[in-house]
Amino acid sequence: MTAPTESAIDIWDDDILVDPYPAYAALREQAGVVHLPKNDLYVLTRYDIIRDVLGDPSTFSSTTLGFNPMVNEALQGTSLASDPPVHTQLRATLSENLTPRALRGLKVTIDEKADKLVAELVASGSFEAIDSLARAFPLEIVADLIGFSGHVKDNMLRWGQAAMQVIGPLNQRTQESFPIAGELYGWCSTVTGGDLTPGSIGRGIFDAETRGDIPEGSAGHIIHQYLGAGVDTTIASIGNIVALFGRHPEQLQLVRENPELVPAAFAEVLRYWAPLHIWGRTATRDVEIDGVTVPAGAQLGILLGAGNRDARHYENPDVFDVTRNPVDHLSFGYGPHGCAGQGLAKLEGHAIVSALARQVKSITITDEVRVPSNMTRSIDKLHVAKVVAA
Amino acid sequence: MRIELDRPRCEGHGLCEEAAPRLMHLDDDGELLIDVPEVDGADLDAAKAAVRVCPVAALRLAAA
Repeated sequence: MTAPTESAIDIWDDDILVDPYPAYAALREQAGVVHLPKNDLYVLTRYDIIRDVLGDPSTFSSTTLGFNPMVNEALQGTSLASDPPVHTQLRATLSENLTPRALRGLKVTIDEKADKLVAELVASGSFEAIDSLARAFPLEIVADLIGFSGHVKDNMLRWGQAAMQVIGPLNQRTQESFPIAGELYGWCSTVTGGDLTPGSIGRGIFDAETRGDIPEGSAGHIIHQYLGAGVDTTIASIGNIVALFGRHPEQLQLVRENPELVPAAFAEVLRYWAPLHIWGRTATRDVEIDGVTVPAGAQLGILLGAGNRDARHYENPDVFDVTRNPVDHLSFGYGPHGCAGQGLAKLEGHAIVSALARQVKSITITDEVRVPSNMTRSIDKLHVAKVVAA
Repeated sequence: MRIELDRPRCEGHGLCEEAAPRLMHLDDDGELLIDVPEVDGADLDAAKAAVRVCPVAALRLAAA
């Protein structure tokens, strides 16, 4: 048995969280699996290895997908943290309202909202893109979807951020976020169908629980997962769209000239800057990965963004190219636990890319600010100093 | 080879249809139908591409 090689990197170091790509490149060149003693973690760095691991839930369990025992305990009983066969029914219940067929009716509304929001921002001449677009848009979409308003809507951003943060190791960020994530958990365990707008998907989930179509008590869990998973990640990807079009005006121009590139452009944004750094699995037995043995019980950290930049899979992986169409990128994960909300994320992302491509000739960005975050890599502030209307 | 669909796992993301439109399609209800289950030659390459792009690993190829 050959043990994996080691690296002294701390994968949750502030500088690495803000710009992980140099560390990802070094780890990926070192090996497909690298032991990080500082994090008590085995990280996976290469595309094929990551895909294989995500596609093999019997060898690589999701029961410790988070990186501290408290969050793993809190997630027990969710589809996120369960393995087949239990996972299969939980996942079906969670994703029933999120499949592309279930969401078809929302496309027109989402496109209209994106067009209107982008039109207002373009008319203003300059704007801060994170609060006014990257956060505003998904918060409105998810609030409408679940059917809530009022103080809950005001809390969605901090709840969504905290729900992601607490999946990290027990560092200061996680400890500060636990009470906020607890507020979300508390609200989800007391909300009732009557609190939600009639006709909304959230109300429909409670109605399904009342009818006995889904297990008693599962409606609150589903709302929790919509909010925990669907806010911070989508915000990251929409901020990244604006920043990458600002940095690469010729790529925006390509989408403007070829509107059929909208889905490919969004897939490339997701590949190039993965919204999630890392995701967890546990080895259920001693298992050979890339010629070395990872011991039973080892905590794995899947570096999605490292796999997305693997030259063994993508040509010129460090180039942002909207014509690439990397439909097999790893940012939604892969396999039975692949992102349940990817249909909704794509509706939102495509709507924003399309609205920008039709309404904007060019944007000049300044002051891109990032703050370190355990799980999500997103831009915190992004000033669009000048926008030229199409 | 034969294209096999794990029906409960399929969520209708439709990437397989884009990769292999001759072999499978989503119907009006968004349910995936395998139109050509037995594949060889050029169809086999398209089928492999469809299996590869399924984001939830609901498709596989098995010996016919």
